[in-house]
Amino acid sequence: MALSNNNSKRAVLGTGVLALAGLASMPLHAQDAEQIIKDRCLACHTVSGDAEAPSFSRISQQRKTPEGWLMTLNRMTHLRGLELAAGEKRALVQYLSDTQGLAPEEAAPYRYLLEQDTNRVESGIEPALAETCSRCHSAARFSLQRRTEQEWKYLVDFHMGQFPTTELHSLARDREWYKIASTETAAELGQRFPLITQEWNNWQQAVKTDLMGRWRITGFVPGKGEFDAWMSAVKTSDNHYDVTLDGHYADGTLLSGAGKATVYTGYEWRASLTIDGVKMRQVMAADKKANRLEGRMFLAAEREIGGEVSGVRDQNMAALVAVQPSYLRAGESAELTLIGQYLKGDIDLGEGVVVEKILSRADDRITLIAKATGSEGLRTPRVGTAADNAGLAVYSELARVEVLPANAVSRIGGAGGKMEKVRAAYRAVGYSAGADGKPGTDDDLRLGYMPASWSIKPADEVAAHDKDEQYAGSINAAGIFTPGDAGPNPERKMSANNVGRLTVVATVADSSAKVEGEGSMLVSVPDFVRRVLD
Amino acid sequence: MKHLKSLNKKAQLINKAISPEEVEDVVAMQTVVGCTATTDPGWELDPFGGLGSLCQPMESDLYGCADACWWPAQVPDTMNTYPNWGEGVAKADKDWRKLDGIFEDAE
Repeated sequence: MALSNNNSKRAVLGTGVLALAGLASMPLHAQDAEQIIKDRCLACHTVSGDAEAPSFSRISQQRKTPEGWLMTLNRMTHLRGLELAAGEKRALVQYLSDTQGLAPEEAAPYRYLLEQDTNRVESGIEPALAETCSRCHSAARFSLQRRTEQEWKYLVDFHMGQFPTTELHSLARDREWYKIASTETAAELGQRFPLITQEWNNWQQAVKTDLMGRWRITGFVPGKGEFDAWMSAVKTSDNHYDVTLDGHYADGTLLSGAGKATVYTGYEWRASLTIDGVKMRQVMAADKKANRLEGRMFLAAEREIGGEVSGVRDQNMAALVAVQPSYLRAGESAELTLIGQYLKGDIDLGEGVVVEKILSRADDRITLIAKATGSEGLRTPRVGTAADNAGLAVYSELARVEVLPANAVSRIGGAGGKMEKVRAAYRAVGYSAGADGKPGTDDDLRLGYMPASWSIKPADEVAAHDKDEQYAGSINAAGIFTPGDAGPNPERKMSANNVGRLTVVATVADSSAKVEGEGSMLVSVPDFVRRVLD
Repeated sequence: MKHLKSLNKKAQLINKAISPEEVEDVVAMQTVVGCTATTDPGWELDPFGGLGSLCQPMESDLYGCADACWWPAQVPDTMNTYPNWGEGVAKADKDWRKLDGIFEDAE
């Protein structure tokens, strides 16, 4: 695959421009969950240890995320004949992820998979693990598990038994795959991702604060834009909340929604909300003080279509959580929205940035016209005592546009078939060149997400020859790419599917210039196996 | 090899690959999450990072690989895990609309 490095070029072109949440609340006690395991699992698993702290074979030697445990229960149901009532399944996911979960810092590097933010190429994966494990599925899938070395060996054996042709694939048949996987790979995994860690010990002992309260939320919904809202979480029972969300999109349209949330492992927030008639899911993590939530919100029916979301708890004190947009071109007047809570006092947008007019002012949202002068750089906007540490980028010239995701896959579907199209949502991030005047270097100043016009073109000569840009899909004004129809296409050579390799181009207007950035889109055949975590 | 001439595009692509090791290195590191790096044959991509060497349309020889559990994370393997997948869709190139996926999202 021709992976994009976010090629960007500047040209003067003239003026212009977890289904896990939302569940009925139920009190849960460890004894109840342990009893479910005893009742449902001991036909195959064994129990040892004392009654106070039972140890279950193949279960007590693993730790996983809530999604990881859900996958385990799904697999046991499908392959091993486990029978669980819906309430029992919820109880087990809660209990297992609470008592055998991952500490926040253990899950942190791989949150993208929990958040279903999968249009990315994983980096930094140990080559041996990439060849043995993540050539079929993501590296995050196993990196979000902790096991004893023996348990990692059992996992290798499961793969060998369940998918016996694994050792016949490329990167397997040229070596003693099973021997390597069950010894070297299992040992490597046991070292990298061991059952017992200081992080988990610490997290188990840490005081967990519940997430009840009001949260000042900012985020992005593809096709709708950036938004700010208040989210209210009312605790209905341990780990369960009723949630409401009310706010505005950046264009002024109102946003309103409600739903339910469940918190796992003391910090893993999973919510199912219906926002203006559309079912959406939130996957967020609370920080250790339970004052911030960070994650992603996406369509329940299309997990690829989503955006960042974050929240700051109402602590009855001033906080400036975002400035939208996060950039201001030097010498130009532009409208900015300051989002926060208890915003009282003087507005100071930083050195050389003048507030020309205040358009509206409430203590959680201020819109104003500002003009910047002076040198390029990040300013720290303040309202009274509250500061936005993410900053406001003052810049003189847009030098580079980064297309996100840089590498994406979409999948043909629809056309009367059972497999839906898998779309992708794009955004453009602008940069100025920084002090060295050269775009693409470390000192580039990140300006933030910028509005762009979107287009596609064939990725290379082969794609152009096959007319991929005609068949493989299209992108709309909001940056949402929709792939072509499923099925053989008699118009194409050998009746090929509407697959293709495309370059997605974002064009951002900057005064009299237009700056382009590029991303790589692979339009592929369906993924017929969609796990909770792929 | 120097006395043999590649006749079709796939063979030319193979000739262009300098060594199998090089091909493996590239592919193993460069797939988007959810895609497989098993490329002999591949599901999303061929060993050269393109589409030219894939079975296309995929419906024409789907079970040739799915039955052998070639991409079990993308296509249900009928060898062990989903023996009934594809039942009633003997001719996938005609009845592809009936092919369903395994969706684990919901409870």
